[in-house]
Amino acid sequence: MNNICLKSIDKDNPSSLATYETMGGYKVWHKILNGELSPEKILEELKISGLRGRGGAGFPTGLKWSFMPRNQEGQKYVVCNSDEGEPGTCHDRDILRFNPHSVIEGMAIAGYVMNATVGYNYIRGEFMEPYYRCEEALKEAYDAGLLGTNIKGSKVCFDLYSHLGAGAYICGEETALLESLEGKKGQPRFKPPFPANVGLYGKPTTINNTESFASVPEILSRGGQWFANLGVPNSGGTKCFSVTGNVKNPANFEIPMGTPFSDLLKLAGGLRKGRTLKGVIPGGSSTPVIPAAKAMKMTMDYDSIEKAGSMLGAGSVIVMDDTTCMVKALTRLAHFYYDESCGQCTPCREGTGWMYRVLKRIMDGQGKSEDLELLLSVQDKMLGNTICALADGAAMPIESFIRHFREEFEYYIKHGKSMVENDG
Amino acid sequence: MMVDIEIEIDGKVVHGYPGESLISIADREGIDIPRFCYHKKLSVAANCRMCLVDIEGNPTPQPACSTLSSAGMKVHTNNEKAKTAQKAVMEFLLINHPLDCPICDQGGECELQDVAMEYGSDISRFTEGKRIVDDKGIGALIQTDMTRCIHCTRCVRFGAEVAGIVEMGATGRGEDLKIEPFLSEGIQSELSGNMIDVCPVGALTSKPFRYDVRSWQMNSIQTIARHDLVGSNIFTQTHKNKVKRVVARDNESINETWISDRDRFSYQGVNNENRVLIPKIKIEGEWQDTSWDDALDFATNGIKKHAKEGSQFGTLASKNATLEELYLLQKFTRGLGSDNLDYRLDASNPNNAKVLESNISLTELETIDHALIVNSYLRLEQPMINHRIRKATLNGASVSTINAKAFDFNYRISHSVLTSPQNTVATLSGVLKALHDKSSKTLPDYLNSVTVHETHTDIANVLLNAKNPVVVLGEHMNGNTCSDQVAKLVSEIAKASDAKTINASLTGNTHSAERVNFRPDNGKNALQILSSDLTAFALFDVYPNFDCIDSKNAIEHLSRDDAFVVVMNSFDDESVSSFANVILPIASFYETSGTHINVDNIAQSYSASVKSAGESKPGWKVIKVLADLLNLQGFDFTDSSQIADEALSLTPRISEIEVPTSNSKMPNITTVWQYTPYASDVVVRHASSLQQTQIGQMSEASVCKATAKLLKLSEGDLYKGVPVNINESVAEGCVFVHTNLPRQLGVV
Amino acid sequence: MISDQAKKEINTWVAKYPEGKQSSAVMQALTIVQKENGGSLTNELKQAVADYLEMPTISVQEVATFYENYNHKPVGKHVVRFCHNISCMLNGSDELISYLEEKLDVKTGEISKDGLVSVKRVECLGACVGGPMCQIGDQYYEKLTKKRIDEILDGLK
Ligand SMILES: Cc1cc2nc3c(=O)[nH]c(=O)nc-3n(C[C@H](O)[C@H](O)[C@H](O)COP(=O)(O)O)c2cc1C
Ligand code: SF4
Ligand code: SF4
Ligand code: FES
Ligand code: FES
Repeated sequence: MNNICLKSIDKDNPSSLATYETMGGYKVWHKILNGELSPEKILEELKISGLRGRGGAGFPTGLKWSFMPRNQEGQKYVVCNSDEGEPGTCHDRDILRFNPHSVIEGMAIAGYVMNATVGYNYIRGEFMEPYYRCEEALKEAYDAGLLGTNIKGSKVCFDLYSHLGAGAYICGEETALLESLEGKKGQPRFKPPFPANVGLYGKPTTINNTESFASVPEILSRGGQWFANLGVPNSGGTKCFSVTGNVKNPANFEIPMGTPFSDLLKLAGGLRKGRTLKGVIPGGSSTPVIPAAKAMKMTMDYDSIEKAGSMLGAGSVIVMDDTTCMVKALTRLAHFYYDESCGQCTPCREGTGWMYRVLKRIMDGQGKSEDLELLLSVQDKMLGNTICALADGAAMPIESFIRHFREEFEYYIKHGKSMVENDG
Repeated sequence: MMVDIEIEIDGKVVHGYPGESLISIADREGIDIPRFCYHKKLSVAANCRMCLVDIEGNPTPQPACSTLSSAGMKVHTNNEKAKTAQKAVMEFLLINHPLDCPICDQGGECELQDVAMEYGSDISRFTEGKRIVDDKGIGALIQTDMTRCIHCTRCVRFGAEVAGIVEMGATGRGEDLKIEPFLSEGIQSELSGNMIDVCPVGALTSKPFRYDVRSWQMNSIQTIARHDLVGSNIFTQTHKNKVKRVVARDNESINETWISDRDRFSYQGVNNENRVLIPKIKIEGEWQDTSWDDALDFATNGIKKHAKEGSQFGTLASKNATLEELYLLQKFTRGLGSDNLDYRLDASNPNNAKVLESNISLTELETIDHALIVNSYLRLEQPMINHRIRKATLNGASVSTINAKAFDFNYRISHSVLTSPQNTVATLSGVLKALHDKSSKTLPDYLNSVTVHETHTDIANVLLNAKNPVVVLGEHMNGNTCSDQVAKLVSEIAKASDAKTINASLTGNTHSAERVNFRPDNGKNALQILSSDLTAFALFDVYPNFDCIDSKNAIEHLSRDDAFVVVMNSFDDESVSSFANVILPIASFYETSGTHINVDNIAQSYSASVKSAGESKPGWKVIKVLADLLNLQGFDFTDSSQIADEALSLTPRISEIEVPTSNSKMPNITTVWQYTPYASDVVVRHASSLQQTQIGQMSEASVCKATAKLLKLSEGDLYKGVPVNINESVAEGCVFVHTNLPRQLGVV
Repeated sequence: MISDQAKKEINTWVAKYPEGKQSSAVMQALTIVQKENGGSLTNELKQAVADYLEMPTISVQEVATFYENYNHKPVGKHVVRFCHNISCMLNGSDELISYLEEKLDVKTGEISKDGLVSVKRVECLGACVGGPMCQIGDQYYEKLTKKRIDEILDGLK
């Protein structure tokens, strides 16, 4: 456990260059600077490793990097998505706090592969501690001559800067992030064109998640096959999971893909005494909820979670036991999307508010019998009809909560209070 | 046109260019796809989601506005999947939209209402209480009702992309997204009214039009805007013989789909109560209303009596008169045996024969890579010409200026030389000499002693490095006593740099005036008419206190006891009443048929939209009857189109003049007097809403510290009646007056 | 309007972006001037940032109103931003927010009478394994309990 991105977590002075180097850090970077590792070779290893983007969509990282027009003239950019804001997710924060050099090295390697000489790490505005750790790490890296122009005489150039957000979940969406980085409000762009062609300041840009970048040095150092073998087919390697909610010891765990959910639950100390599992949101608030029975049978990898009816998403496992009022939980999530919608697409701007208000009304004891059908219909009208996936993320919980826990909603509407005793 | 992609829309095989959006192909093919945010002249936002269509092979519906066609695509705009998506979006749009179309000003011409009729489903499912948006208001021209806004951002994109002044924005996020300016000071763009046209709903409507009539009660009549050199195509919308509103009419090669605020809101001037409605004669110093017959007799008798010789008669006309009016008026004047006629009332040196042609079309202007703007605040003078140059700058063109003041353009100026009127000839000569130096052509004599400064070389360099440059000459040169040299030098600069030219120094319908030779061949020009001993005058829609460069002198001269002045005017004016002997009321804009010749030499004829006010008559009819009464030959017209035909059949004269070698002596400190765009002619001066805008209220005499000191002026003093503003954006040695006040307040 | 110190700080951000892309620094510029102004923005400050970064004022306004971390009304000397999202909620954030409100005698969104503290409910702050949690200034406070809240409030001056 905690072998790659979180491996410094128990060390003294975990974020320092010295610690990173004792763990084999910057080995790959030095190889590159010595001309011993070609971009082609790196892309090949990444493809073998099966590394899929950790930001939520799970797009193969090697493939994404190969889309960049690396030989095209002009500036190109590498951008790291450290805007972690999906409710239930907080492992990128720990990578930034405890292992910032892995992100720096990962981004530098990406820059080298894609011929991009400038990188930005977009850190969410509230992450001040991670930001300071990253800034210290950057200074160390510059001081050690690991970044800059013509690094150690290799002709390789890479400059890296931290950028701070100012509080908007939507900036985690990659094109909203680019807009934000350009000094605008974070409204997602429609695609195509994709960032690989028209990205930051209109230039070819590759965006990856913090954990994706942080995984790269270790993969290249120990080999793509090594990494792939840690996981299961189609879900290579290990992955950080944030386990939160009704467990004894909420924490982040970096574990092999394919680990049974029940094992992960145990790692987090299991449920509290006398409690039973009700449902699990496996991939962050935007992914559908899974009822207990199904959850206990799934393993933590893309395919198994999908089979269970949800998505691995950002690897944020929200555990709910029998004390949880599902109406209240869903209302809280609906409020989140209502609050965070950027507002440009009609279905999302109008639909998130509509759904939240209906749920709020149910919570206030004013529910109507037709409300559940209304909610299902509204979420259905949002799905797939918008510029970015926030609307889908707002819609999917509605559908799954009502599908799996319908009787709780019906009870609330009928009685004006929660079915769960401790609540309402 | 390269058409080489074949796709299928609703089973029909259609063609498109590579990279063309589905909606653009569908529009060309007449296939209807509902849309709100898409606008053919604006960037794609794809935010309203109304245009969702089903593309085979795609799991989810895709927006037709942002999806680019690719060969073999099969698109369905109205199958089950597309319709379901469109209906869904419609429902979302309506939940927070008021459903009180009958009281909305956009009712009957609302894109949302139209689409809702077709798509709207059960809208009663939303019971959560509608959003109400309080709005701050954005000025005198545009009425906001932001509760109706559907956040399509067309207005925001219009501001950023077309107007070039980012004023409206979308603040907040999610449901709180709000379209608004930063402060409620009012929108400043000279093109702001187009936001009304682009707004698909009743969120932005015409403020002057508000609550007047319902859209379906009005007639729409095609006509031409007459204020500037472009002749934008417009519709007048009328009700009960009044113009109630003006909207843009598409004409790609002229105004595309935009019009200036001046063209849009000036109709209020026509409806102003200050019109002359009844013929009037002055007997023993007293004005009397009278019949047309009596007034015409009075006028012709007066002319016969006071101008025994034709040469004692002089005619002055407005630059905004129609081609027909100008043609008949010169025929009338020359028929009386006079060659004293002019329309260049604001020129201090009407000697300048037409030395500078315009030889680039409006559409070509978009393709230039450099513009040198001389003596012009082009953005406010000729908004649509400026708009084309702005489009060129968006494609990378650069712009430099030689002006007396640094103006607020809506694009970046790369090189700017500040030059007072008295130094303009020296500056232009410097540039010309620098051009000659570069091309090592032999230097004409008049450039021998000219000094070339670095700034001159800079301008010359950008001109020479450009492949398609244009030089634009504007209004400010009119007040310059060396304007003939200025025009000539600009023309030489253009020649030496292979540049095209735009002569925007004289606006309105001056191309018609030139076409009919409404200027003396051997007779007296405007300045001379107003300073020699002529005894009979005809004034056609002239208001000397605003229009004449030396207004005080003009009025004094016309007020002489022995002068008989026949006035054909559309508006009442105190100073005119003081000197006129007879006032014949004529039709104003939109009340007469006519022809406008624009900067591209395109003659655009229009018919009257409404009957002329009161007893006033179209100008051409009045001139014709005067001619008949004076037994002049060749006025047998029954229709204005016959006049236009005759006028246009003549070949215009072009007279080149030599560069005068003798420099006329200019004072050490000069004045540039420019009217704000909403004081540029009598109609717009009477348009009340325009007068309330920031542009309309502008009245400022700008002067730099050094010059202010010489003139003993301090901030807030009056200079020729205009409040002084001391700032360093003005060339030394001159005062730049930008005002809506009459020149009568001070002689230039 | 913007102090020299603030300008210096803003400049270090501007330096991170390519020439002519100084508007990339707008979010930080707003953060910096907001801090200097005691935690909230005014129209004048937004105008000043717009002028300093050569941006249209309305574009600055768009940014200032889009992001959660800017305040447009005065706030307490310390702003307690309490996460109420799902992971924190499952571990009792609502109860703690009520406790805080009672203790300070303020509602969320209000400033305490002594002007020292205001409380804001916020969405997930990305520290869910430490929930219930809140942010005060740059600092995160995790695994909160009533006792811990008492201590933290006692430490605020
Ligand atoms: C609403 C929304 C929020 C997102 N938030 C994040 C985020 O906080 N962090 C992240 O890495 N990716 C986030 N993503 C995914 C990014 O758009 C993008 O897919 C990802 O950064 C790509 O990196 P990867 O390929 O390494 O996963 C979000 C996507 C959406 C639609
Ligand atoms: S789906 Fe929602 S968040 Fe995404 S772009 Fe559209 S309005 Fe913005
Ligand atoms: S005001 Fe009109 S044009 Fe502007 S965003 Fe709203 S609906 Fe669109
Ligand atoms: S017209 Fe296509 S999304 Fe608005
Ligand atoms: S849910 Fe509270 S920090 Fe994430």
